[in-house]
Amino acid sequence: MNNFQSLRLFIPELIILSTILVAIIADLFYSKEKSYKVGYWVLTGLLLAMVVLWLTDKTEVTTLFLNSIALDPFSRIFKFIFILATLFVIIMSMRASELQKVRTGEYFVLLAVVVLGMFLMASSIDLIMVYISIEVVSIASFILAGYLKTEVRSNEASLKYVIYGAFSSGIMLYGLSLLFGLTGTTKLFEISEAIARLNGEGNLTLIIATIFIMAGFGYKISAVPFHFWTPDVYEGAPTPITAYLSVAPKAAGFALLIRFFNSLFGTGAVFEPGTWQSLEGIPWQQVIAVVAAITMALGNLVAIQQSNIKRLLAYSSIAHAGYILMGIPVLSQDGIHAMIFYIIVYLFMQLGAFFVAILISNKFGTEEIAKYSGIGFKSPLLGVLMALFMFSLTGIPPTAGFIGKFYLFAALINGGSQFYWLAIWGVLNSVVSLYYYMRIVKVMFFEGQSELELYLPSAVPTTLLMVFGIPTLLFGVYWSPIADWVQNSLIFFVVRM
Amino acid sequence: MGADIIFWMVVALTVGSAFLVVLSQNLIYSAIALLFSFMGVAGLYIFMMADFIAATQIVIYVGGILVLIIFGIMLTQRIRDVRISHTSMQRGIGGVVVTLIFLGLFRMITGSPWHFEAIPEVEGTVSGIGKLLMVEYLLPFEVTSVLLLAALMGAAMLSRRGD
Repeated sequence: MNNFQSLRLFIPELIILSTILVAIIADLFYSKEKSYKVGYWVLTGLLLAMVVLWLTDKTEVTTLFLNSIALDPFSRIFKFIFILATLFVIIMSMRASELQKVRTGEYFVLLAVVVLGMFLMASSIDLIMVYISIEVVSIASFILAGYLKTEVRSNEASLKYVIYGAFSSGIMLYGLSLLFGLTGTTKLFEISEAIARLNGEGNLTLIIATIFIMAGFGYKISAVPFHFWTPDVYEGAPTPITAYLSVAPKAAGFALLIRFFNSLFGTGAVFEPGTWQSLEGIPWQQVIAVVAAITMALGNLVAIQQSNIKRLLAYSSIAHAGYILMGIPVLSQDGIHAMIFYIIVYLFMQLGAFFVAILISNKFGTEEIAKYSGIGFKSPLLGVLMALFMFSLTGIPPTAGFIGKFYLFAALINGGSQFYWLAIWGVLNSVVSLYYYMRIVKVMFFEGQSELELYLPSAVPTTLLMVFGIPTLLFGVYWSPIADWVQNSLIFFVVRM
Repeated sequence: MGADIIFWMVVALTVGSAFLVVLSQNLIYSAIALLFSFMGVAGLYIFMMADFIAATQIVIYVGGILVLIIFGIMLTQRIRDVRISHTSMQRGIGGVVVTLIFLGLFRMITGSPWHFEAIPEVEGTVSGIGKLLMVEYLLPFEVTSVLLLAALMGAAMLSRRGD
């Protein structure tokens, strides 16, 4: 579709773009104390974009802007995930006390910029678009991570993020340039055809290019060995941003990863076993399986030693990236289905856990787990919900996390006997994670004085807590609408007609 | 033949200055060496018939970014005393890894069936680039403006007085 015709199908993105511009101007009219109101502008704009997105044709499959981005149900479901996560984080940010000391006008605008970047990440089918969309998300995230500029921790987080980001971008760009050099085109599906024509001649270059590109994607989803930035950035960034980074850009990274490998090495429609035709003789599935295994093991083992709740959740998010990554190597529709389902579930439980941490930090002024003692009695609501999120993150029935993990492991088992080890490894890892998740629950309920103080958060935080808590429980017993929705979204822009 | 000699001189200038950037112990020397490396890259672009890109390379990298780096160094207090710019540890293992990577990349570059296209006789590349930016790559081009807007806001936020 040409540039002009594309605009009609690009309305959600255009609304976000207008939101960014309007919010910047609105910010000029607010004093420092009132600047949080820019958040309402962004909130309204994103809600509008979500409504329009809802009204768009669910089954439309086409490319926009002369094959720069694809419009398909796969990108559509991810767009909902991004907007939803951002809406939650905006409300969380308005409640976080650490952000009330600073001017937050730009903060909310930058969140909208990240959303735009993630929309494009989930739909890019052109190497240049892939790179630019990643950079839009990264640059805005760097600023958000360092937003508390008077705090050394936040500065450190931002600086480390920038250096790692620049480095991995550079490596990824080299990989992308190799792909271009081999095929002479930047469109993913043309690359795929050109690779098929090479008949395995350029395999060495392809391997090196893919490894380099994985450096960029791995950085976004914080898979081992590109995870080193994660704990420091997550600890130093403002807590709502930590929550955000651990969910939304990660989901965008997975969307890009799935589409990229699918377009380049798959059939383009959905993964099918044995269809990575261009790279015969190279054990790609095994390589990604091993990366997933190492990622979850490292995340879990290091999380055990953490005493700061943000750092603990950071390492746990690395572990969860490992779990989600398990869906790729089986190369099946089941695998992708399980990945997206898990990302949706993970959104609720991870943001929920972070929001409880924010409320505890607001009220009790601590991020150290050891000082959580007795909070289960001082504030039963926070205690019970934190326990629920921890159960769900571990994957204990009847929570949503259990269903998510169940789908992932089922996809692995269905994928054939060569993946049994990975499924067993995943289960073992879940057992390890039980230890540190339950330690938080234990400290909250079984340590310290159990005097009843009954702190109740005010109306808005309580509502938001319920918005996180109810799905976490509900999807554990009644998940078929979500599963069906994901199933219907597994339609990619098809490469070969 | 003459073109070959000039080509290898440009290559030597690019790579040699790049080495100086990394090996020099003094930040200012590094910055100046970077200047020559950038100029060498501009020369390489000219060999690829990319006249506009070469000019842009000079204007933006040499004229803009590098001058900014040098100003940054000059205006930072007591930076002359800082002599830690390039300490290296684990030279042995690092050397082995770097050699392996180099050999791998060397084999890849010499052994790959690269995609070649004959360079058409054109009067200049500007109009072609303009068409690409305004038609085929319009969306990336426009999104870049959002990227720059975000970066600008970040810079303004960081340099603002107070919170």
